[in-house]
Amino acid sequence: MSSSLPQGRRGSTDRGTVLLVVCGLFLIALLFRSGFFAPASWQGFCAKFHQNFIEQRRYMMLVNGLKATLHMTFFATLIGLAIGLILSIIRVAHKGGARIGPLAAFANLYITVLRGTPVMVQLLIWNFTIFASARDLKTLYIAVLAFGLNSGAYVAEIFRGGIEAVDPGQMEAGRSLGLSYRVTMSRIVLPQAVKNVLPMLFNEFIALLKETSVAGYIGIDDLTRAGQNIQALTLEHSQPLVMVALIYLALVLVLSEGVRRLEARLRRSQR
Amino acid sequence: MQNLKRTFLGIALVTALFFGALPAGATEKLSKVEQLKTEKLAAQRGTVGQMLAEELLGENSGLLLTTYEKYVDAIAALRQQKVRAVIMDEGPAKRFLANVPGLAIMPEPLSEESYAIGFKKGNDALRSRVDEALEAMKQDGTLQAIIDKYNDNIDVNPEDIDLNVGAAGGKLVMGTEAGFAPYELKVGEGYIGIDIEMAAAIARRLGMELQIENLNFDALPMAVASGKVDMICAGISVTEERKKNMDFSINYVDGAKQVAVVRADDLSE
Repeated sequence: MSSSLPQGRRGSTDRGTVLLVVCGLFLIALLFRSGFFAPASWQGFCAKFHQNFIEQRRYMMLVNGLKATLHMTFFATLIGLAIGLILSIIRVAHKGGARIGPLAAFANLYITVLRGTPVMVQLLIWNFTIFASARDLKTLYIAVLAFGLNSGAYVAEIFRGGIEAVDPGQMEAGRSLGLSYRVTMSRIVLPQAVKNVLPMLFNEFIALLKETSVAGYIGIDDLTRAGQNIQALTLEHSQPLVMVALIYLALVLVLSEGVRRLEARLRRSQR
Repeated sequence: MQNLKRTFLGIALVTALFFGALPAGATEKLSKVEQLKTEKLAAQRGTVGQMLAEELLGENSGLLLTTYEKYVDAIAALRQQKVRAVIMDEGPAKRFLANVPGLAIMPEPLSEESYAIGFKKGNDALRSRVDEALEAMKQDGTLQAIIDKYNDNIDVNPEDIDLNVGAAGGKLVMGTEAGFAPYELKVGEGYIGIDIEMAAAIARRLGMELQIENLNFDALPMAVASGKVDMICAGISVTEERKKNMDFSINYVDGAKQVAVVRADDLSE
Protein backbone atom coordinates (compact mmCIF):
# COMPACT_ATOMS: atom_id res chain seq x y z
CA MET A 1 0.00 0.00 0.00
CA SER A 2 2.15 2.79 1.20
CA SER A 3 5.11 1.01 -0.31
CA SER A 4 3.59 1.43 -3.75
CA LEU A 5 3.66 5.21 -3.44
CA PRO A 6 6.54 6.93 -5.18
CA GLN A 7 9.25 7.95 -2.78
CA GLY A 8 11.10 11.17 -3.23
CA ARG A 9 14.20 12.45 -1.47
CA ARG A 10 12.00 13.72 1.29
CA GLY A 11 10.81 10.23 2.19
CA SER A 12 14.30 8.81 2.50
CA THR A 13 15.41 11.69 4.74
CA ASP A 14 12.49 10.99 7.04
CA ARG A 15 13.43 7.36 7.18
CA GLY A 16 16.98 8.33 8.04
CA THR A 17 15.77 10.53 10.87
CA VAL A 18 13.48 7.82 12.19
CA LEU A 19 16.29 5.29 12.10
CA LEU A 20 18.60 7.71 13.89
CA VAL A 21 16.01 8.36 16.61
CA VAL A 22 15.33 4.63 17.05
CA CYS A 23 19.06 3.90 17.25
CA GLY A 24 19.45 6.73 19.77
CA LEU A 25 16.66 5.35 21.93
CA PHE A 26 18.22 1.91 21.67
CA LEU A 27 21.57 3.33 22.81
CA ILE A 28 19.93 5.03 25.78
CA ALA A 29 18.16 1.76 26.63
CA LEU A 30 21.55 0.05 26.42
CA LEU A 31 23.06 2.58 28.80
CA PHE A 32 20.20 2.00 31.23
CA ARG A 33 20.60 -1.75 30.92
CA SER A 34 24.35 -1.54 31.42
CA GLY A 35 23.74 0.15 34.73
CA PHE A 36 25.26 3.54 33.95
CA PHE A 37 22.10 4.99 35.45
CA ALA A 38 21.77 2.03 37.79
CA PRO A 39 20.97 3.91 41.03
CA ALA A 40 17.25 4.51 40.89
CA SER A 41 17.33 8.17 41.79
CA TRP A 42 19.08 11.13 40.24
CA GLN A 43 20.77 11.82 43.59
CA GLY A 44 22.03 8.24 43.67
CA PHE A 45 23.48 8.67 40.21
CA CYS A 46 25.16 11.93 41.21
CA ALA A 47 26.55 10.41 44.40
CA LYS A 48 28.02 7.51 42.42
CA PHE A 49 29.38 9.91 39.82
CA HIS A 50 30.97 12.01 42.53
CA GLN A 51 32.51 8.95 44.16
CA ASN A 52 33.85 7.59 40.88
CA PHE A 53 35.26 10.69 39.27
CA ILE A 54 35.39 13.70 41.60
CA GLU A 55 36.40 12.41 45.03
CA GLN A 56 40.16 12.50 45.61
CA ARG A 57 40.50 13.94 42.10
CA ARG A 58 39.93 10.53 40.54
CA TYR A 59 39.26 12.16 37.17
CA MET A 60 43.02 12.74 37.09
CA MET A 61 43.45 8.97 36.75
CA LEU A 62 41.38 9.14 33.56
CA VAL A 63 43.30 12.21 32.36
CA ASN A 64 46.64 10.49 32.90
CA GLY A 65 45.30 7.34 31.25
CA LEU A 66 44.16 9.41 28.29
CA LYS A 67 47.63 10.93 28.08
CA ALA A 68 49.22 7.47 27.90
CA THR A 69 46.71 6.38 25.25
CA LEU A 70 47.33 9.45 23.09
CA HIS A 71 51.09 9.17 23.59
CA MET A 72 51.09 5.55 22.41
CA THR A 73 48.77 6.26 19.49
CA PHE A 74 50.74 9.29 18.28
CA PHE A 75 54.21 7.75 18.32
CA ALA A 76 52.99 4.37 17.09
CA THR A 77 51.38 6.24 14.20
CA LEU A 78 54.70 7.86 13.28
CA ILE A 79 56.55 4.52 13.42
CA GLY A 80 53.75 2.85 11.46
CA LEU A 81 53.87 5.50 8.73
CA ALA A 82 57.64 5.27 8.33
CA ILE A 83 57.72 1.48 8.23
CA GLY A 84 54.64 1.23 6.04
CA LEU A 85 56.06 3.63 3.47
CA ILE A 86 59.40 1.81 3.27
CA LEU A 87 57.84 -1.67 3.07
CA SER A 88 55.33 -0.68 0.40
CA ILE A 89 58.02 0.91 -1.79
CA ILE A 90 60.15 -2.23 -1.45
CA ARG A 91 57.25 -4.40 -2.55
CA VAL A 92 56.23 -2.15 -5.44
CA ALA A 93 59.82 -1.73 -6.62
CA HIS A 94 60.31 -5.49 -6.48
CA LYS A 95 57.24 -6.00 -8.63
CA GLY A 96 58.54 -3.30 -10.97
CA GLY A 97 61.66 -5.35 -11.62
CA ALA A 98 64.18 -3.95 -9.12
CA ARG A 99 66.72 -6.56 -7.97
CA ILE A 100 65.93 -6.53 -4.28
CA GLY A 101 64.80 -10.12 -3.78
CA PRO A 102 65.94 -10.58 -0.14
CA LEU A 103 64.51 -7.20 0.89
CA ALA A 104 61.18 -7.97 -0.73
CA ALA A 105 61.14 -11.39 0.90
CA PHE A 106 61.74 -9.73 4.26
CA ALA A 107 58.95 -7.23 3.63
CA ASN A 108 56.61 -10.07 2.73
CA LEU A 109 57.53 -12.04 5.83
CA TYR A 110 57.16 -8.96 8.03
CA ILE A 111 53.70 -8.16 6.73
CA THR A 112 52.58 -11.79 6.90
CA VAL A 113 53.70 -12.30 10.50
CA LEU A 114 52.60 -8.96 11.94
CA ARG A 115 49.24 -8.98 10.22
CA GLY A 116 48.74 -12.66 10.92
CA THR A 117 49.02 -12.49 14.72
CA PRO A 118 46.90 -10.57 17.25
CA VAL A 119 48.42 -7.32 18.43
CA MET A 120 47.92 -8.31 22.06
CA VAL A 121 50.00 -11.46 21.61
CA GLN A 122 52.68 -9.38 19.91
CA LEU A 123 52.63 -6.92 22.79
CA LEU A 124 53.11 -9.70 25.35
CA ILE A 125 55.95 -11.22 23.31
CA TRP A 126 57.73 -7.86 22.98
CA ASN A 127 57.46 -7.17 26.68
CA PHE A 128 57.97 -10.56 28.30
CA THR A 129 60.20 -12.33 25.77
CA ILE A 130 62.16 -10.00 23.52
CA PHE A 131 62.65 -7.16 25.99
CA ALA A 132 62.51 -9.40 29.06
CA SER A 133 65.93 -8.28 30.29
CA ALA A 134 65.58 -4.62 29.28
CA ARG A 135 64.63 -3.52 32.76
CA ASP A 136 65.42 0.16 32.43
CA LEU A 137 63.48 0.59 29.20
CA LYS A 138 60.16 2.24 29.97
CA THR A 139 57.24 -0.09 29.28
CA LEU A 140 55.54 2.72 27.40
CA TYR A 141 58.32 2.70 24.79
CA ILE A 142 57.94 -1.06 24.34
CA ALA A 143 54.22 -0.55 23.75
CA VAL A 144 54.87 2.26 21.25
CA LEU A 145 57.27 -0.03 19.40
CA ALA A 146 54.88 -2.99 19.43
CA PHE A 147 51.89 -0.96 18.21
CA GLY A 148 54.02 0.97 15.71
CA LEU A 149 55.54 -2.15 14.14
CA ASN A 150 52.12 -3.78 13.98
CA SER A 151 50.54 -0.74 12.40
CA GLY A 152 53.41 -0.57 9.90
CA ALA A 153 52.30 -3.86 8.38
CA TYR A 154 48.77 -2.56 7.79
CA VAL A 155 49.97 0.82 6.53
CA ALA A 156 52.30 -0.97 4.06
CA GLU A 157 49.35 -2.69 2.48
CA ILE A 158 47.36 0.56 2.37
CA PHE A 159 50.25 2.36 0.65
CA ARG A 160 50.84 -0.50 -1.76
CA GLY A 161 47.21 -0.39 -2.82
CA GLY A 162 47.48 3.37 -3.25
CA ILE A 163 50.64 3.20 -5.36
CA GLU A 164 49.24 0.44 -7.54
CA ALA A 165 46.08 2.44 -8.06
CA VAL A 166 48.06 5.25 -9.70
CA ASP A 167 47.87 4.89 -13.48
CA PRO A 168 51.00 3.05 -14.72
CA GLY A 169 51.11 5.65 -17.48
CA GLN A 170 52.31 8.16 -14.87
CA MET A 171 55.43 6.12 -14.21
CA GLU A 172 55.97 5.50 -17.94
CA ALA A 173 55.56 9.20 -18.71
CA GLY A 174 58.04 10.22 -16.04
CA ARG A 175 60.58 7.63 -17.13
CA SER A 176 60.24 8.57 -20.81
CA LEU A 177 60.88 12.21 -19.89
CA GLY A 178 64.25 11.08 -18.61
CA LEU A 179 63.50 11.13 -14.87
CA SER A 180 65.07 8.38 -12.77
CA TYR A 181 62.88 5.70 -11.14
CA ARG A 182 63.51 7.26 -7.74
CA VAL A 183 62.54 10.77 -8.79
CA THR A 184 59.46 9.58 -10.70
CA MET A 185 58.38 7.53 -7.71
CA SER A 186 58.94 10.20 -5.07
CA ARG A 187 57.79 13.24 -7.05
CA ILE A 188 55.04 11.92 -9.31
CA VAL A 189 53.63 8.58 -8.17
CA LEU A 190 53.84 8.83 -4.35
CA PRO A 191 52.10 12.22 -3.98
CA GLN A 192 49.14 10.89 -5.96
CA ALA A 193 49.15 7.64 -3.99
CA VAL A 194 49.25 9.42 -0.64
CA LYS A 195 46.34 11.59 -1.63
CA ASN A 196 44.35 8.50 -2.56
CA VAL A 197 45.01 6.64 0.65
CA LEU A 198 44.78 9.49 3.20
CA PRO A 199 41.25 8.59 4.34
CA MET A 200 42.22 4.94 4.71
CA LEU A 201 45.32 5.91 6.68
CA PHE A 202 43.24 7.97 9.07
CA ASN A 203 40.91 5.04 9.58
CA GLU A 204 43.89 2.86 10.39
CA PHE A 205 44.97 5.30 13.08
CA ILE A 206 41.49 5.46 14.53
CA ALA A 207 41.65 1.66 14.77
CA LEU A 208 45.08 1.94 16.36
CA LEU A 209 43.74 4.32 19.01
CA LYS A 210 41.26 1.67 20.08
CA GLU A 211 43.79 -1.16 19.85
CA THR A 212 46.02 0.49 22.45
CA SER A 213 43.39 -0.46 25.02
CA VAL A 214 45.17 -3.80 25.55
CA ALA A 215 48.31 -2.04 26.86
CA GLY A 216 47.15 -2.73 30.42
CA TYR A 217 48.38 -6.29 29.98
CA ILE A 218 51.97 -5.13 30.19
CA GLY A 219 51.30 -2.74 33.03
CA ILE A 220 50.60 0.55 31.26
CA ASP A 221 47.83 2.56 32.86
CA ASP A 222 46.17 3.66 29.65
CA LEU A 223 42.59 4.97 29.47
CA THR A 224 41.02 1.51 29.70
CA ARG A 225 43.24 0.49 32.60
CA ALA A 226 42.54 3.81 34.35
CA GLY A 227 38.85 2.90 34.29
CA GLN A 228 39.66 -0.50 35.77
CA ASN A 229 41.79 1.13 38.47
CA ILE A 230 38.85 3.34 39.41
CA GLN A 231 36.62 0.24 39.46
CA ALA A 232 39.01 -1.42 41.89
CA LEU A 233 38.99 1.68 44.10
CA THR A 234 35.26 2.35 44.24
CA LEU A 235 34.05 -1.21 43.48
CA GLU A 236 31.60 0.40 41.08
CA HIS A 237 31.31 -1.58 37.88
CA SER A 238 29.42 0.38 35.26
CA GLN A 239 30.13 4.07 35.50
CA PRO A 240 33.92 3.96 35.03
CA LEU A 241 33.57 1.61 32.04
CA VAL A 242 30.86 3.65 30.35
CA MET A 243 32.82 6.83 31.00
CA VAL A 244 35.91 5.28 29.37
CA ALA A 245 33.77 4.21 26.41
CA LEU A 246 32.36 7.72 26.05
CA ILE A 247 35.86 9.24 26.05
CA TYR A 248 37.02 6.82 23.33
CA LEU A 249 33.86 7.56 21.38
CA ALA A 250 34.41 11.31 21.65
CA LEU A 251 38.00 10.93 20.43
CA VAL A 252 36.95 8.74 17.50
CA LEU A 253 34.12 11.13 16.57
CA VAL A 254 36.52 14.07 16.50
CA LEU A 255 39.02 12.12 14.38
CA SER A 256 36.27 10.84 12.06
CA GLU A 257 35.03 14.39 11.55
CA GLY A 258 38.61 15.27 10.61
CA VAL A 259 38.66 12.47 8.02
CA ARG A 260 35.31 13.61 6.64
CA ARG A 261 36.54 17.17 6.18
CA LEU A 262 39.77 15.93 4.66
CA GLU A 263 37.86 13.82 2.17
CA ALA A 264 35.65 16.78 1.26
CA ARG A 265 38.72 18.96 0.81
CA LEU A 266 40.39 16.35 -1.41
CA ARG A 267 37.29 16.00 -3.56
CA ARG A 268 37.19 19.75 -4.03
CA SER A 269 40.78 19.91 -5.25
CA GLN A 270 40.07 17.14 -7.73
CA ARG A 271 37.59 19.19 -9.66
CA MET B 1 7.71 1.90 3.90
CA GLN B 2 8.06 -1.89 3.82
CA ASN B 3 11.73 -1.39 4.61
CA LEU B 4 10.92 0.90 7.50
CA LYS B 5 8.54 -1.67 8.95
CA ARG B 6 11.14 -4.37 8.59
CA THR B 7 13.74 -2.18 10.30
CA PHE B 8 11.36 -1.47 13.17
CA LEU B 9 10.51 -5.13 13.50
CA GLY B 10 14.19 -6.08 13.50
CA ILE B 11 15.06 -3.53 16.16
CA ALA B 12 12.06 -4.53 18.27
CA LEU B 13 13.09 -8.17 18.01
CA VAL B 14 16.68 -7.45 19.02
CA THR B 15 15.49 -5.30 21.94
CA ALA B 16 13.07 -7.98 23.09
CA LEU B 17 15.80 -10.61 22.96
CA PHE B 18 18.14 -8.27 24.79
CA PHE B 19 15.76 -7.59 27.64
CA GLY B 20 14.16 -11.01 27.59
CA ALA B 21 17.40 -12.92 28.01
CA LEU B 22 17.38 -12.46 31.76
CA PRO B 23 18.49 -15.58 33.60
CA ALA B 24 15.80 -17.58 35.37
CA GLY B 25 15.61 -17.25 39.15
CA ALA B 26 17.47 -19.80 41.26
CA THR B 27 15.37 -22.54 42.75
CA GLU B 28 16.98 -23.76 45.95
CA LYS B 29 18.70 -21.35 48.32
CA LEU B 30 22.33 -21.92 49.20
CA SER B 31 23.45 -23.06 52.61
CA LYS B 32 26.45 -25.36 52.07
CA VAL B 33 29.52 -25.11 49.85
CA GLU B 34 28.63 -28.64 48.72
CA GLN B 35 25.70 -27.21 46.73
CA LEU B 36 28.03 -25.18 44.54
CA LYS B 37 29.30 -28.36 42.85
CA THR B 38 26.67 -28.10 40.14
CA GLU B 39 26.36 -24.32 39.97
CA LYS B 40 27.87 -21.66 37.73
CA LEU B 41 30.87 -20.15 39.50
CA ALA B 42 33.26 -17.28 38.82
CA ALA B 43 36.81 -16.50 39.90
CA GLN B 44 39.62 -14.13 39.02
CA ARG B 45 41.89 -15.65 36.39
CA GLY B 46 45.00 -17.33 37.76
CA THR B 47 43.98 -17.16 41.41
CA VAL B 48 43.62 -19.89 44.01
CA GLY B 49 39.91 -19.13 43.80
CA GLN B 50 39.95 -20.45 40.24
CA MET B 51 41.85 -23.56 41.38
CA LEU B 52 39.37 -24.25 44.19
CA ALA B 53 36.40 -23.72 41.91
CA GLU B 54 37.90 -26.16 39.41
CA GLU B 55 38.35 -28.74 42.18
CA LEU B 56 34.80 -28.20 43.37
CA LEU B 57 33.24 -28.52 39.92
CA GLY B 58 35.44 -31.39 38.78
CA GLU B 59 34.87 -32.32 35.16
CA ASN B 60 32.10 -29.72 34.81
CA SER B 61 34.46 -26.82 35.41
CA GLY B 62 34.83 -26.25 31.69
CA LEU B 63 31.10 -25.66 31.47
CA LEU B 64 30.32 -23.98 34.75
CA LEU B 65 33.36 -21.89 35.63
CA THR B 66 33.90 -18.41 34.22
CA THR B 67 37.18 -16.65 34.96
CA TYR B 68 37.45 -12.87 34.88
CA GLU B 69 40.44 -10.56 34.62
CA LYS B 70 39.29 -8.44 37.57
CA TYR B 71 37.32 -9.12 40.75
CA VAL B 72 35.01 -6.21 39.94
CA ASP B 73 33.91 -8.05 36.79
CA ALA B 74 33.32 -11.31 38.67
CA ILE B 75 31.20 -9.53 41.30
CA ALA B 76 29.22 -7.75 38.58
CA ALA B 77 28.51 -11.14 36.98
CA LEU B 78 27.31 -12.40 40.36
CA ARG B 79 24.99 -9.43 40.87
CA GLN B 80 23.59 -9.87 37.36
CA GLN B 81 22.88 -13.55 38.19
CA LYS B 82 25.26 -14.79 35.51
CA VAL B 83 26.92 -16.93 38.16
CA ARG B 84 25.80 -18.14 41.59
CA ALA B 85 29.02 -17.61 43.52
CA VAL B 86 32.45 -16.02 43.26
CA ILE B 87 35.33 -17.88 44.90
CA MET B 88 37.86 -15.41 46.31
CA ASP B 89 40.00 -14.35 49.24
CA GLU B 90 38.15 -13.23 52.34
CA GLY B 91 39.95 -9.88 52.64
CA PRO B 92 38.80 -8.37 49.34
CA ALA B 93 35.44 -10.18 49.71
CA LYS B 94 34.74 -8.29 52.93
CA ARG B 95 35.50 -5.01 51.22
CA PHE B 96 33.00 -5.85 48.46
CA LEU B 97 30.38 -6.70 51.10
CA ALA B 98 30.91 -3.35 52.81
CA ASN B 99 30.60 -1.36 49.58
CA VAL B 100 28.30 -3.28 47.26
CA PRO B 101 24.70 -3.93 48.35
CA GLY B 102 23.10 -7.37 48.23
CA LEU B 103 26.14 -9.60 48.77
CA ALA B 104 26.92 -12.21 51.41
CA ILE B 105 29.72 -14.61 52.27
CA MET B 106 28.93 -18.29 52.80
CA PRO B 107 29.85 -19.09 56.42
CA GLU B 108 31.85 -22.19 55.54
CA PRO B 109 35.26 -21.32 53.99
CA LEU B 110 36.62 -23.44 51.14
CA SER B 111 40.20 -23.45 52.39
CA GLU B 112 42.83 -21.48 54.25
CA GLU B 113 45.94 -20.30 52.44
CA SER B 114 49.23 -18.62 53.23
CA TYR B 115 50.56 -15.66 51.30
CA ALA B 116 54.21 -15.38 50.27
CA ILE B 117 56.36 -13.43 47.83
CA GLY B 118 57.17 -15.22 44.56
CA PHE B 119 60.60 -15.30 42.89
CA LYS B 120 62.02 -16.64 39.67
CA LYS B 121 62.96 -20.29 40.13
CA GLY B 122 66.58 -20.44 41.30
CA ASN B 123 66.90 -16.77 42.28
CA ASP B 124 68.12 -17.83 45.74
CA ALA B 125 70.39 -14.81 46.20
CA LEU B 126 67.51 -12.32 46.30
CA ARG B 127 65.08 -14.75 47.96
CA SER B 128 67.36 -15.35 50.95
CA ARG B 129 67.95 -11.62 51.41
CA VAL B 130 64.21 -10.93 51.30
CA ASP B 131 63.55 -13.84 53.66
CA GLU B 132 66.05 -12.39 56.12
CA ALA B 133 64.42 -8.94 56.00
CA LEU B 134 60.94 -10.46 56.29
CA GLU B 135 61.97 -12.58 59.29
CA ALA B 136 63.42 -9.51 61.01
CA MET B 137 60.19 -7.60 60.31
CA LYS B 138 58.17 -10.42 61.82
CA GLN B 139 60.36 -10.40 64.93
CA ASP B 140 60.30 -6.65 65.60
CA GLY B 141 56.59 -6.28 64.86
CA THR B 142 56.94 -4.12 61.73
CA LEU B 143 54.95 -6.59 59.67
CA GLN B 144 52.11 -6.86 62.19
CA ALA B 145 51.98 -3.06 62.44
CA ILE B 146 51.52 -2.81 58.65
CA ILE B 147 48.77 -5.45 58.67
CA ASP B 148 47.01 -3.74 61.59
CA LYS B 149 47.22 -0.38 59.85
CA TYR B 150 45.05 -1.69 57.02
CA ASN B 151 42.48 -3.31 59.30
CA ASP B 152 39.19 -1.95 57.90
CA ASN B 153 41.02 1.07 56.54
CA ILE B 154 42.38 1.89 53.11
CA ASP B 155 42.50 5.63 53.66
CA VAL B 156 46.24 5.97 53.17
CA ASN B 157 48.09 8.56 51.12
CA PRO B 158 50.47 6.81 48.70
CA GLU B 159 52.95 9.66 49.08
CA ASP B 160 53.40 8.72 52.73
CA ILE B 161 54.93 5.37 51.75
CA ASP B 162 58.71 5.68 51.48
CA LEU B 163 59.82 3.75 48.40
CA ASN B 164 63.46 4.61 49.13
CA VAL B 165 63.84 6.47 45.83
CA GLY B 166 67.42 6.89 44.67
CA ALA B 167 68.83 4.19 46.96
CA ALA B 168 72.40 3.05 46.28
CA GLY B 169 71.51 -0.64 46.09
CA GLY B 170 69.66 -0.29 42.78
CA LYS B 171 66.05 -1.14 42.01
CA LEU B 172 63.89 -3.86 43.46
CA VAL B 173 61.11 -4.32 40.90
CA MET B 174 57.90 -5.73 42.28
CA GLY B 175 55.07 -7.07 40.13
CA THR B 176 51.55 -6.79 41.52
CA GLU B 177 47.90 -6.50 40.52
CA ALA B 178 46.54 -3.38 42.15
CA GLY B 179 42.91 -4.40 42.52
CA PHE B 180 43.16 -6.46 45.71
CA ALA B 181 42.47 -4.24 48.70
CA PRO B 182 43.66 -4.19 51.43
CA TYR B 183 46.79 -5.76 49.94
CA GLU B 184 47.34 -3.54 46.92
CA LEU B 185 45.40 -0.73 45.34
CA LYS B 186 46.20 2.07 42.94
CA VAL B 187 45.27 5.50 44.30
CA GLY B 188 45.85 8.39 41.92
CA GLU B 189 49.33 7.80 40.54
CA GLY B 190 50.60 5.81 43.52
CA TYR B 191 49.99 2.54 45.31
CA ILE B 192 48.88 1.62 48.82
CA GLY B 193 48.25 -1.62 50.69
CA ILE B 194 49.83 -4.22 52.95
CA ASP B 195 51.94 -5.76 50.19
CA ILE B 196 53.15 -2.36 49.00
CA GLU B 197 54.18 -1.17 52.46
CA MET B 198 55.76 -4.52 53.28
CA ALA B 199 57.76 -4.54 50.04
CA ALA B 200 58.79 -0.92 50.65
CA ALA B 201 60.00 -1.85 54.14
CA ILE B 202 61.94 -4.80 52.69
CA ALA B 203 63.48 -2.54 50.04
CA ARG B 204 64.55 -0.05 52.71
CA ARG B 205 66.18 -2.85 54.69
CA LEU B 206 68.04 -4.03 51.59
CA GLY B 207 69.06 -0.48 50.70
CA MET B 208 67.17 -0.67 47.41
CA GLU B 209 64.54 1.45 45.67
CA LEU B 210 61.12 -0.18 45.26
CA GLN B 211 59.62 0.04 41.79
CA ILE B 212 56.06 -1.19 41.29
CA GLU B 213 54.74 -2.71 38.07
CA ASN B 214 50.96 -3.01 37.94
CA LEU B 215 50.16 -6.08 35.81
CA ASN B 216 47.21 -8.43 35.42
CA PHE B 217 47.21 -11.23 37.97
CA ASP B 218 47.53 -14.01 35.41
CA ALA B 219 50.55 -12.23 33.86
CA LEU B 220 52.50 -12.19 37.14
CA PRO B 221 54.09 -15.68 36.91
CA MET B 222 55.21 -14.86 33.36
CA ALA B 223 56.63 -11.50 34.48
CA VAL B 224 58.75 -13.00 37.25
CA ALA B 225 59.87 -15.99 35.17
CA SER B 226 61.03 -13.71 32.34
CA GLY B 227 62.99 -11.52 34.75
CA LYS B 228 60.84 -8.49 33.93
CA VAL B 229 60.25 -8.09 37.66
CA ASP B 230 62.38 -9.32 40.59
CA MET B 231 59.54 -10.56 42.72
CA ILE B 232 55.78 -10.77 42.67
CA CYS B 233 53.85 -9.71 45.70
CA ALA B 234 50.08 -9.69 45.24
CA GLY B 235 48.50 -11.74 48.02
CA ILE B 236 49.77 -14.84 46.25
CA SER B 237 48.81 -18.08 47.96
CA VAL B 238 51.48 -20.74 48.23
CA THR B 239 50.39 -23.88 46.37
CA GLU B 240 52.22 -27.02 45.29
CA GLU B 241 51.30 -26.26 41.69
CA ARG B 242 52.86 -22.80 41.86
CA LYS B 243 55.99 -24.12 43.59
CA LYS B 244 56.78 -25.98 40.36
CA ASN B 245 57.17 -22.70 38.50
CA MET B 246 58.46 -20.26 41.11
CA ASP B 247 60.18 -20.09 44.48
CA PHE B 248 58.45 -18.59 47.49
CA SER B 249 59.67 -16.52 50.41
CA ILE B 250 58.61 -17.41 53.94
CA ASN B 251 54.88 -16.81 54.51
CA TYR B 252 53.85 -13.35 55.62
CA VAL B 253 50.14 -14.05 56.08
CA ASP B 254 48.69 -17.32 57.35
CA GLY B 255 45.09 -18.46 57.52
CA ALA B 256 43.84 -16.35 54.62
CA LYS B 257 40.41 -17.86 54.05
CA GLN B 258 39.04 -18.61 50.61
CA VAL B 259 35.31 -18.00 50.60
CA ALA B 260 32.30 -18.13 48.31
CA VAL B 261 30.62 -14.76 47.79
CA VAL B 262 26.93 -15.11 46.90
CA ARG B 263 23.87 -12.86 46.60
CA ALA B 264 22.40 -12.16 50.04
CA ASP B 265 18.87 -13.16 48.94
CA ASP B 266 20.24 -16.45 47.61
CA LEU B 267 21.68 -17.54 50.95
CA SER B 268 19.36 -19.40 53.32
CA GLU B 269 19.25 -18.13 56.88
